[in-house]
Amino acid sequence: MSTTLTARTKNSPSIQTTSSRIWKVVLNLTVGVVAALSAIPFIYLIVRASDKPIPEIAELLFRQKTLEILGTTAGLVACVVLINVVLGVAIASGLHFVQLPLRRLLIIPTVLPLAIPSYVFTYTWIALIPAFSGFIAAVFILSITTLPYIILATLAGLRRVDGSQIEVARTLGLNYRATFARVVFPQIRGHVSAGALLAGLYTMSDFGAVSLLNVDTLTVSIQNMYKASYDRSAAAAISFVLIAFSILFVLADEKIKGRTTQNQILKSVSVKTALIRKQSFRISVVLVIIVFAVIAVLVPFYVLVTRFVTNPAPIDWAGLLSATVSTVSVAAIGAVIALLLSAPIAFLISGKVSAYGNLAQKIITIGHALPGVVVGLALVSVGSKLGPLYQTTFLLAFAYALLFLAKSLTSMSSSLERVPIGVKDVAATLGMGPWGVVRKVIAPIAAPGIGVGTILVFLTAMKELPATLMLRPTGFDTLATQIWSTSSINQFNEAAPYALMLVLVAALPTFLLSRPDKADRTYLQESKESLSERS
Amino acid sequence: MSALEVSQLKVSLGNKIVLDNLSLVLAEGEIAALLGPSGCGKTTLLRSIAGLIRPTEGTIRFGKQLVSFSSVHLPAHKRKIGYVPQEGALFPHLNVADNISFGLDRAEYSKPQIKQITQEMLALTGMEGFASRSPNQLSGGQQTRVALARALAIRPAIVLLDEPFSALDAQLRTELRRDVINLLRAQNTTAILVTHDREEALVSADVIALMREGKILQQGTPEQVYSTPISPSIAISTGDTLILKADELSDGSTRYLLNPKFSDAKSIRRGHIVIRPEEIKISKTLSTSSLNGTIVKIDYYGHDAMVGVDIAQEHLQVRIPGPFDFVVGESVALEHVGPVRFFAQP
Amino acid sequence: MGSAAALTLSLLAGCSSSNEQATEITELTIYSGRSEEYIGTLFGDYEKASGIKINVRYGDSAELSAQILEEGSNSPADLFIAQDAGSLGAIAEAKLFTVLPAGVAADIPTKYIDANRNWVGMTGRTRVFAYAPDRVKVLPLSVADLTKPIYKDQIGIAAVNASFQAFVTAMIEIKGRPFTKTWLEALKANGVKLYQKNSMIVEAIDKGEISIGLVNNYYVFLVAKALGRDINVKNGYFTPGDVGNLINVSGAGVMASSLKQRAAEDLINYLTSAPAQQYVVNLVNEYSLLDGAKAPIGLTTLDAIGAPSIDLDSLKNVKVTQDLLIEVGLL
Repeated sequence: MSTTLTARTKNSPSIQTTSSRIWKVVLNLTVGVVAALSAIPFIYLIVRASDKPIPEIAELLFRQKTLEILGTTAGLVACVVLINVVLGVAIASGLHFVQLPLRRLLIIPTVLPLAIPSYVFTYTWIALIPAFSGFIAAVFILSITTLPYIILATLAGLRRVDGSQIEVARTLGLNYRATFARVVFPQIRGHVSAGALLAGLYTMSDFGAVSLLNVDTLTVSIQNMYKASYDRSAAAAISFVLIAFSILFVLADEKIKGRTTQNQILKSVSVKTALIRKQSFRISVVLVIIVFAVIAVLVPFYVLVTRFVTNPAPIDWAGLLSATVSTVSVAAIGAVIALLLSAPIAFLISGKVSAYGNLAQKIITIGHALPGVVVGLALVSVGSKLGPLYQTTFLLAFAYALLFLAKSLTSMSSSLERVPIGVKDVAATLGMGPWGVVRKVIAPIAAPGIGVGTILVFLTAMKELPATLMLRPTGFDTLATQIWSTSSINQFNEAAPYALMLVLVAALPTFLLSRPDKADRTYLQESKESLSERS
Repeated sequence: MSALEVSQLKVSLGNKIVLDNLSLVLAEGEIAALLGPSGCGKTTLLRSIAGLIRPTEGTIRFGKQLVSFSSVHLPAHKRKIGYVPQEGALFPHLNVADNISFGLDRAEYSKPQIKQITQEMLALTGMEGFASRSPNQLSGGQQTRVALARALAIRPAIVLLDEPFSALDAQLRTELRRDVINLLRAQNTTAILVTHDREEALVSADVIALMREGKILQQGTPEQVYSTPISPSIAISTGDTLILKADELSDGSTRYLLNPKFSDAKSIRRGHIVIRPEEIKISKTLSTSSLNGTIVKIDYYGHDAMVGVDIAQEHLQVRIPGPFDFVVGESVALEHVGPVRFFAQP
Repeated sequence: MGSAAALTLSLLAGCSSSNEQATEITELTIYSGRSEEYIGTLFGDYEKASGIKINVRYGDSAELSAQILEEGSNSPADLFIAQDAGSLGAIAEAKLFTVLPAGVAADIPTKYIDANRNWVGMTGRTRVFAYAPDRVKVLPLSVADLTKPIYKDQIGIAAVNASFQAFVTAMIEIKGRPFTKTWLEALKANGVKLYQKNSMIVEAIDKGEISIGLVNNYYVFLVAKALGRDINVKNGYFTPGDVGNLINVSGAGVMASSLKQRAAEDLINYLTSAPAQQYVVNLVNEYSLLDGAKAPIGLTTLDAIGAPSIDLDSLKNVKVTQDLLIEVGLL
């Protein structure tokens, strides 16, 4: 059985009727609206920064300290991304290619860090090792926090690699390492890059962990500007450095993606590779995952529970319950809004090459590096002028959507790309109008990926702090705000129940993220079958 | 009343003209093969007929119905065309049965009806028992069958097949092609088959249209197109070809390697002639007046053989029928038995 | 808190005769940089006594300050309570506070009130040095002493902390930048250890990592409470007048854009009343600013401490401090 590699013909024109022209106009308009909304923080920053005369801004941007901070931030991002790529790709590949006992369970700890806020991680490790601080500590914490992104992205890519290519490579004499390097990795490079992008942008925007660990990143500097000099203009100017950095990152990612070999499997004759059964591989994968589980899951749990148990404070059950309900509901609404906002853009860029759609996507992705405090203030600035709409749960949910739109967009576009070429056209010839095609063909195929993106936004929104503090309705508490308020006066034992509850609530969606979808399940099932055939 | 009439069709994509003033007529039940190199516009023509592309100029009619003409453009989902694209494009999220019944409107057909049609299609395409399989469990040939079943289930007036057999190995390809063509003929379906395989075109089609750079250069029955190509390059498209330098003489005859006229007639035109390998006969009987050459290679195919003969600094490929007793190195006499197709030098 | 309620009622009774507005108001919106732990009960009591619903937005003082600055006159806040004078100063500078009438917080000494009466102090906290009594035999008399060899590698500071930075700001204000720079450099040369939080300094002293730390007065109390046991740490003061004895205040101001200013001022009166102040003293171990008030457990009274005299508004110039700390390499 042979397969042929063909580049995706992105320029093949599709259905062109009057009704679909209206549809196009509506789509473009919607994308424009979403892009404009995403641009709110940028506009805010420009307005604020322009309060300062240019020479002052220049002095601020180019002074020694700023350059040092830039260096620290760059170094931090570079280290975290590097570690994540190496470790994440290794773990994901191990999970995918090696025959493992209890594979389904092993995936869970690798994505569970998504449920735990970075500041909680940091707290628990500081509690364990009081001297825990500094650059290395920050690299450590942020690597743990962002590893799931790379693992999930890599797994998604691995599941699309054609097994027969691997077999051919093996018969040509390549060992596992060479096969991976020369056959597998070029195909997953784009996915890994997408995961690395999210990880890197998050690292840039993180405040909780780095501030506790005494590492001066751009975000910390921005925060300090607000706190120390109450100088919003200076903070805005520094934010532009962050944006510039983010742009570089996005461009790098694009370059990497462009070079990935496009593998659209025609008439997917899927040969499943036999899973690797080499003992040394199996042991090392399991070991790595166990170590990671200890560091990233067990330690935080242990510290939270013991701190609480050794000095228990009375739990305000009513408050805990209401905070939980608030957290879940506003995060869920935010996730849905993110889905709705990213759908038109994902749709536009997945169909054909659209410079307009790509621009919208870039704006959103670049903005992802902005810390919550900036986006929060931007929305305060705009929102306070909106009268009764200000400080409502809706505005807060909208803020979440805006903050994490990039995550939703990434998984949505990649899941839309799973729709095989030609399927949309065939559906049309079989009598499906444009809406029917979306409902009956695109949506079912893309649904799992869209689900992943929505869950990611949901999880991240639950942990969000700075924007929440600013935009929530007065008296509205989320688990995150409760953790913050009880731990800022160092009653860490009081924070423990809220932190534990947050992790518990996040556990189920995280678990869902780790499960393969239907198509992948068939794949895995057959991998097992082919394995038993060959043995 | 023709089943399909394409008239002066022009399709531009951006600045590029992909289809240039193209016309094609098909009677009901006819199978046409579109033969041409990659990039010549075959797929574009198919997609235009399917309604997936909006032409710049020209008309397309299905029988009496005008489906495409300047501002009139019947959208694809209203055209009832069967489309089997190159990639097969089975819906990955549906099993075989659901793929096949996808185009059957749930409002028009009842559940039992749908089931029955699906069963019919499965039987027609030899895929009984595969109803609940998932597309990624099927081989390439099986996927093509299902794609075809899916297209036929809606009883389309026209079926468009875009290189459906290209990803298959030779044996399977031939078998499957035979089955598919037989099925189409049994159903009296009008069909267009896009292919770059000339043998496939010759054996399957009632009409062959040779395309290059967005134009149909020659159209006709396989015999017409094979025996009377309108240019040397067309000849190459439809079969093995020998091209020899030739001169048209003042007395009306043509002089070329295998017909070296030793007369005084002057050459009025220079050009080439096109010969098919099977139009050259070789024999062991040599004479001083015969054209003699030496066999340098024999490629044996079982049912025939291609013999490479060196003659007067030229190397000719000759096709001879199966059993023979020539050997390499032997001297043979060559004779051209066939039409003289002269093409003047431009 | 019965006595507090009673006092509230009497205060309200006193006010309502001159301010009809107070009785018409049904709710107040407060932005509070003081956490709910420390002030929530007071709000609750006031709510019960006055019948006015109190909507509180808790947050970090500086961030709330930034938020108010963004909101400008559209801010829903009626009252802004901040943990430190700097945050209040920023709002005052932006002219977003209203000028408080003379009768408001009449019992708070003027040195704890903004010069333009944009805000008033509520509770105070002092800088102290926390120390391990068994290991530190010779107590420092002045911050300058901390650069001496006997304290080498024994001192801890939280350079990132706002209170430490406020102290350094005061030192720059009083002693000048060159002096401060020299002192910081000497401190660094003496092996000073950096911590992220004041509480960590106290814990470190208890564990024996260091012997002395510069913190706020209430941390010894808080850490002991959090750990649930006595700790081997005590508070000490420098000689009266030393810059190391800086007193900083938490305070409140009424938003100029508020339509409920009288009611907000009422609340301030309540918060600065003796029972409310005592509550905070007991809960957090901060100082009441009222004359003659009892000192928190284990601490000297405010007047006896001998704080350096300084205009609290100047504490908002933290940027200069941060730049200096960066220059010296402590930040």
